Parts: sequence; structure tokens; C-alpha cells
Amino acid sequence: MTSPIAVPELTATTVAPRGRIHWSDRSRQERLGYRLLLPTLGTVVVVATIPFLLAVVQALTSASGAFVGLDNFTNALGNAALYESVRQTAIYAAVVLPTEILLGLGLALLVHRTVRSPAIRAAIYVAAMIPIFIPQIAVGVVFRLVFAPDYGILNVLLGDTGRNQILWLSSPPLAMLSVATVDVWQWTPFVYLVLFAGLQTVPSESVEAAQVDGASPWRQFVHIELPYIRPLLLLALFFRIADVLRVFDHVYVLTGGGPGTTTQFLSLYLYRVGFRFSDLSQASALAVVVMVAMTIFYTLISRFLPVETR
Amino acid sequence: MRRRWTLGRIVTTAVLVVAVVVFVFPLYWLIATSLKTKAELYAVVPTLVPQNPTLAPYGDVLVDRGFSTLLLNSIIADLGATAAAIAIAFAICYPITRLPVSRSVRAFVLNWSLSLRFLPPIAVVIPYFTIVRAIGLYNQLPGLIIVYTIFNLPLAIWMLRGFLDEIPLEIEEAALVDGATRWTAFRTVLLPLSRTGILAAAIIVFAFDWAEFLFAFILTATPQSMTFPVGVQGLVTQFEIIWNDMAAGGVIAIALPLLLMIAARRYVMTGLTFGVIREK
Amino acid sequence: MRKRSLGFLAAFALALGACQGGGGASPGTSGGGGAGTTLTIAAVQGVEDAGLKALAPMYTQKTGVKLDIVEAPYADLYTKLVNAFKANDATYDLVMMDDPWMPKFGTDGSLQDLGALGIQKDPDIAQVVWDVGTWPPPRGPVPPSEKGKPSQLLGVTIVGNVEMFMYRKDLTPNAPASYDDVLANAKAQNKSDMAGYIIRGKATNPVVADFLPILWSFGGDVFDENWNVVFDNDASKSAIKFLVTDLKAVAQADPASTDAADRDLIMAKGQGYQSSTWPGEINEAVLGEGSTVAGKVGFIPIPKGPSGKGVGMMGNWMLGIPKASKNGQAAADFIKWMLQADTQKTYAQNNGIPSRTSVLKDASLADKNPYFPVLADALQAPPNWRPRTDQWNAVETILGTHLNAALAGQESVDDVAAKASAEIRTLMKGAGYPSQ
Repeated sequence: MTSPIAVPELTATTVAPRGRIHWSDRSRQERLGYRLLLPTLGTVVVVATIPFLLAVVQALTSASGAFVGLDNFTNALGNAALYESVRQTAIYAAVVLPTEILLGLGLALLVHRTVRSPAIRAAIYVAAMIPIFIPQIAVGVVFRLVFAPDYGILNVLLGDTGRNQILWLSSPPLAMLSVATVDVWQWTPFVYLVLFAGLQTVPSESVEAAQVDGASPWRQFVHIELPYIRPLLLLALFFRIADVLRVFDHVYVLTGGGPGTTTQFLSLYLYRVGFRFSDLSQASALAVVVMVAMTIFYTLISRFLPVETR
Repeated sequence: MRRRWTLGRIVTTAVLVVAVVVFVFPLYWLIATSLKTKAELYAVVPTLVPQNPTLAPYGDVLVDRGFSTLLLNSIIADLGATAAAIAIAFAICYPITRLPVSRSVRAFVLNWSLSLRFLPPIAVVIPYFTIVRAIGLYNQLPGLIIVYTIFNLPLAIWMLRGFLDEIPLEIEEAALVDGATRWTAFRTVLLPLSRTGILAAAIIVFAFDWAEFLFAFILTATPQSMTFPVGVQGLVTQFEIIWNDMAAGGVIAIALPLLLMIAARRYVMTGLTFGVIREK
Repeated sequence: MRKRSLGFLAAFALALGACQGGGGASPGTSGGGGAGTTLTIAAVQGVEDAGLKALAPMYTQKTGVKLDIVEAPYADLYTKLVNAFKANDATYDLVMMDDPWMPKFGTDGSLQDLGALGIQKDPDIAQVVWDVGTWPPPRGPVPPSEKGKPSQLLGVTIVGNVEMFMYRKDLTPNAPASYDDVLANAKAQNKSDMAGYIIRGKATNPVVADFLPILWSFGGDVFDENWNVVFDNDASKSAIKFLVTDLKAVAQADPASTDAADRDLIMAKGQGYQSSTWPGEINEAVLGEGSTVAGKVGFIPIPKGPSGKGVGMMGNWMLGIPKASKNGQAAADFIKWMLQADTQKTYAQNNGIPSRTSVLKDASLADKNPYFPVLADALQAPPNWRPRTDQWNAVETILGTHLNAALAGQESVDDVAAKASAEIRTLMKGAGYPSQ
């Protein structure tokens, strides 16, 4: 395998040819495969699907249990606040995703290429692990201690806690930026870790060959490393998209969706309808709509996934 | 060969140092806050370094507030859910990686499991609440275990699949040719070989369960089944946020998964490639 | 085969849905509850349950009944209770509830009738305290679905709580008599290191709690006697303007992100001149450990507005007994004991906030609790309660979102009045109210 471009074509193992096993043996094994797979998978699919069915049932009934047809859907979809929250979520995603991916990739490349000391690499690994596993609530509270007026350390460090201090959590564009910063802080390390782990697996022969040919670091990245880690990059992006679409905890603690509805993302809106308005019927209709929309969205983007489907 | 401090190296070092400082500062602030007295938190200008550092908030959280029970609940629920998720993921990954099932089935499993992660928990928390209540597991740890298992199954499936793919089929086949049954081959060949993969996946799944809040909050009612993050959230009261205890709770919550992560660093790094890149 | 299993699933789901619809299980059998009984109490975390926690071991010593107090923070307790009641779960034998939650629990029939369990009115406790625990509400508009339901006592106040007003009496000798005085003092005291007025302006419940006394004192309201929305009339608008324009001009840096905890921190650090306050905030958060203003803060009823009245707002914490509890009688016995005059005094000495007039006016308690006599008068006044509708949480969320947006400079006074009113009308009509 001399051409580095051929390397990324490893969409995981394909089913390897099995010369030594006879055809009838193979079909027996295939049956065994399904016998093993179906009971577990079936159970899991059923267990994971029941909530959806329940949500559908609840979405078709009123609070008193009477069948009301599509009324709840009409109410849910007729509410302008829904589209507002979708828009805010989209803005949030547009800020957070590119930042996290580019920053994570940049840091991974930087460390991969310049840091040789195992001790420093280990220290960076530890530092990067922490934000991922802090309880979301603690994240929210720590950043309140950072962003809050008067006693927040950010304004103290900036030397302005007076009447005209910067209001990180309650002036509209800044509030969005502040909650996005927290996301970037918490999840860039995840992207970094995944991509760094990926870069470690790039075969050194390919890299050395390119260096011998005098490729610049940029060309080395574009032609060798990037194609190699592309599936992983996509997967990391997938996990981040999934998480960004359901962002809730730290926003709830930091701004509660405010000021006004500036940071009322989709999950916060669902919470508001279901738990503040106690309108479980409309909340279920919303949940069904969201689940269906996510499934469609997922189907649309899933062809970019590193899963062999051919 | 000693390397020289070129301009490029200085710039990259500076970038790294800044990045590390920015990322580590909130953690420092969490720890610093957890060591402050209540009086110091009332200082007109917040102090960057605790003036009279004290471990009292940790005692408050673990002993006076009885959060050690919640810590234990978290450990039980997360261990149970991790074990279940790994076992189920293994049962699903074994056939799709070791046996000749069709590609579309394989693709379905991977696609479907990842799509599960796209459901906002807030959208399914109400139906899950209904179910958990209907089967009598409201305010019971098994209820949490079931829900956590489902929610982290995608992660477990993807990681285990990656590890299993890397174990050459030939090794097992050699055992089969020698007359071993599938079960024996699984037990004596595959299982020992996939031990590190299982460990890595388990640790990552455990850590994700550990930080979960919403389901624990909705599905539990008393300290009998509440998890640690729910207790920590409880320190934000209406009239007072008990900052130092809250921060101490945060530090305690980080400590356990972090120790696991450090202990199993090598495996975790391998797990994070999800097997979508195969090592040559 | 596939079809049949799907059918089975659908049937299962429907069965679950049905359980939920008709969840009226029989009220718990009322065990007498002697030694060995354990009563589980859902309580709000914070100063409001401090007295309860102090009394619990005393009751156990006296009767052998064990009390297990399970705390949840304010914002979470409501969700927890709604869930527990919906699950018809026997976890809790007693629950602490904020008074605006009563309509929801009363409408849903989640609680046992305390009258039937032998709890009787006592003239030493203000009439409004009994009224607020009675469902349907004995005065004011009654939700359409609740008209004609028999009157039941569902909750008994254990934290007498009326919103009051606090100011720095060391800086100005005279207490403000009216909101004009409040604004004048605020302008005079407002400096770079001192906010003339501290607005509790965080979205939803917080800003609404700060605003309703102003709204009422200005003669405005959310609903009239027939559930018509009057939040966009002139009196209501002048109240909105007073908060988001006049007071905001002399308020702390960031009213829109300020909750009670932040307000009390500002007050305790000596960086604020005046604000509204709940009794529960005073002893710990404003005057407690680390505070720089102990002895410098005066407490008075809500000042008078242009309407000529100063209208306080109730936030009584009540104890109720869930339908599902199997220890109804034992729980009621505990409530009776808690209401006794001597228990109430012990309660007050242990940071509890009593509701008995004789205890509130007890001179031996006034030193440690400077606001007790004011609270006794405020309860007799009587204060207003938040509208008695199970839609209140939603109404409050709407009001609180728009007021918060105005404080953050996103909406004008007219926007707040018009948008909030329109949304509330839609909401109430949808819920079957005759709101115009």
C-alpha cells in the first residue's frame, strides 16, 4: 500500500473472505448470527421504541385522556415560540460546532506534531478529560461564578465591576455567546481527544514518505492525515451535533433561557411546555414532532457516516 | 538531537500554554471556591486565591448533608447500567463482527443505535417516566439502570464494534478448525483478547452515566435512589446558592471518573477512535 | 407475525395511557401511626424547612413516630410533587407546598381533606391562612372546572410568608410610605457602589414575585373577577413602566440575571439600599454569617402605590397530605402538634417562621426576628394571593419572560403589556376559561 490516498478507504473491516470455511458452513454461521442477534436487538429496539409510541398516544389525547385527533399537533406547531427556539438552536449550533471542530482539530494537530514529551501529553490528556465528566450542573454553577455581574471573576479580572460592567448573561448577543463559550470549553477537549487518538494511528511510513518528498506541513495534513482521520472527524461531528441539539443543563442554570427568550433552545422550550406549563399533551406532540424531525434529519446526514452501507 | 527554539516553536508553545490556561482556569476556580469559607464568599471583591483555605465544605457535603448515600447510589446505578450496556452491546456486536450477517443488518444496527443519541432526552423523559412508573420502578435504582443502559448503548456498541473488528477472525477460526465449539472459542479466545476493549468502553460509558442529571432528577424522589448530581443541584436554593459546598460537590463528582480515566488512559485513547480507523 | 407484535405493542401503550388517565386510586387508609411509623416529608431546601428539621427529632422523642425529611430545591420541588402525585406514589406522607401550587393540586385532587382528619380552624391564626389552604378558593375568581366542588381544607400553613419591604434604616431615618418615596430615596441613595433599588429580575418566577406587589399597589392586576386579562390596562402599564423604566434606572448593574440569592448577596455586602424581601430570606441570607448590614436593615409592609394601598403578596408554605399516603391520620396528628402554641414558639426559636398571631407578637422573639410583628400585621391586612388557577405556572412563565426581556432592554412597556396579555388570553381560553 504505497499510495496514502488508499488508506482511508477503510470503512472498518469488511466481511473478510473466508476461504477455509465451506459454503454450507457459512450459511449455518449466518443463521447463527441472526439467532444470536435478533433476540437482543429486538428487545432493545422494542424497549427504545415504546416511549415513542407512548408519546404518540399521549399526543393524540387531552389531559383528561379523551381522543382529540391532531389538535395537540396543531397547537404545538402553531406556536411561534417553537420556531423561535429552533432558530436559536440553529444559531447556537452554527457558533459552537465549527468552533469546537476547528479548535479541537487544530489543537490535536499542534500537540501531535510538536509535543513529544509523554509527560506533557499525559498532562494534556488529563486536563482534557475533566470537562467531559463534570456534572452539567456544576459546569453551570462554575460559569455563573465566572460570568455573574459584581462577583463573577471575569469582570473582576477585567477590572470593571461598576455600573457599566459587561453583562455576560443578560445582554442579548452576549448571553448567547456566553452559553456557547461554556459548550466550547466543555466539548472542544472531547473533539481534541478523539482526533488526537486518530492522528496517533496514521501510519508513520506514509508521513515519512511525504516528508522525504518535501511536502509542506499543510500538504502533509491535507493529503495524508486528513483523509485518514476523515471518518473519525465525521463521527466526532455527529456526536457533537446530537449533543448540541439537546443542549439543556448549563443553559438552564446560567440564563434559564433568558434574557427574554434569547437562549431558549429547543430542549428548554420543551421543558417549558411540559414542566412549566404542565401541558403534557402538547409537550408529547412536540416530542413526537422533534423525534420525527430528528429521524429525518439523521437519515439525511447518515449517509456521510463512516458505516459501510454499500 | 537537541531541537532549537525556532520562532514557530515559540508560537506553538505559546498557543498551547494559552489554551491550557483558558481550559484549566474554570477548574481552578471550582477548586478554589470549594476551599473558601462562607465569609470569604461575601467579600466585596472576590479573592483569586482562598485566604483561609478550609476543607469544611467537603465535610458538609459528604457528612452533614449525607451525600455519601447519594454517591453510593450513583456508583450502584452507574455500575449496573455500565455492565448492562456492555453486555447487551457485546451480544449485538458479536454477531455483526464475527459472523457473516448481511451488510445491511450491520449498517442498520450501527445507524439505528447512533440515531438513538439524536433524541433529546427532554423529549422522551415524559414517556420514560410513564413507563418506569407503570412497572413500579419509580424512585428505584433499577429504573435508572434501565434508562441509562438504553441511553449509552450507542456509545458502547460503536466502541465495542471497533475493538472486535480489530481482532482477526483467523484467530477464532484456528480454534474452530482445531475442533473447539463456538462457545469455547468465544470464551477462551475472543473474550480474553477483547478484555482491553471492554474495559475501555466500560470506563467511557461509566463516565457518561456519571454526569447524567435529567433522568435521575425526574425518576427519583428520595435519597433512597437520588444520584450525586441531583444532590449537587439541590445546593442551589431559592434564596441562597451555597457556592462552596456546591463547588466541593463538583470536585468530588469529578474525582472518581478522572481516576478511572487516568488508570486506564491507554485503553481509553484506543476506545476514542471508535474503530472507524483501523490500525495497520 | 410482525403485525401481531405491533398490535400488542399498541395495546400495551394504550393500557399505559389509560392508567394515566383514570389514576384516581382510593385515598390511603389512615393508619393511626404509633411508635415505629415513619412519615416521609417532601420539603423545600433552604431556610423555609429549617424549623421543620429542628422539630422533627422532638416529635420522634415524644411519640416514637419517625420523620424522614426529603429536601428538594425550590425550582425542583414542584416538578417532583407533580410527578409523585401523577405516579400516585405513596412515597410522601406530607408535602410542603408553596401556595400558588394549591390550584394545581386542588384541581387534580391530589390531596386529602384535612378537615376530615380532624384539623380545625383556630382564631389565633389569621383567616387568610385558612383561606389560602382551602379549595376551591373561598373568595376571588374560581376556575370554571372547580365551581360547585365541595370546600375542603387541603393545606395548613407552616411558614407564614408575606412579601415585605426592606431598606437601609441606617441611611435614611424614615421608612418609605409610598412607592413615590421608594423612587425618591432610590435616586438619592444611588451611587456607583450602592444600588438605589435591587430588582430581582431573573426570568419567570423571580421577577414576577418582585413585580406583583408593585402591580397590585398601582391598582393593576393580571385577571379581573371574571378571569378577563387586565394586564394591558393603564394601571397595569404604569406599574410595568415603574419597574422596567423608573426603578431600573436606579437599580444594580444587571437586574435581568438577578435572583433572590444575588439580591441578598448585594444587600448583605452593603451594596444595595432597598428591595422587596420574603421573611425566609432575612435571617440567613441578608443578616446571617458574613453580612455587613446586621442591625442596619428596617422591615416594613409593602409601601402604598397610586391606588392608595400597599398590597403584599402571600407565599405561605403549607403542609398537605397526598391522596396516596397510607399514613394520613398519623400525618394529620403531626400537623396538629405543629400548630399548637407551645410548638410554634419552639419552632420560632429554631428559625421557623410561625403563623400564630400570639407567637409573632411575642416580645421575647422580636429581638432575633425583627420582622415578626410586621409579618403579623401583614397577614391580618390581608395580603393578596396569586390568582387561583392551575394555569398559574404558565401565566407566571409568560409574565416573567416578557418582564425579563424588558429589563434586558429587549421589549418596551407597551410590548410587555400587549404580548403578555395576548399570550395569557390564548392560554386561558385554551384551558376553558372565559377570558377576554
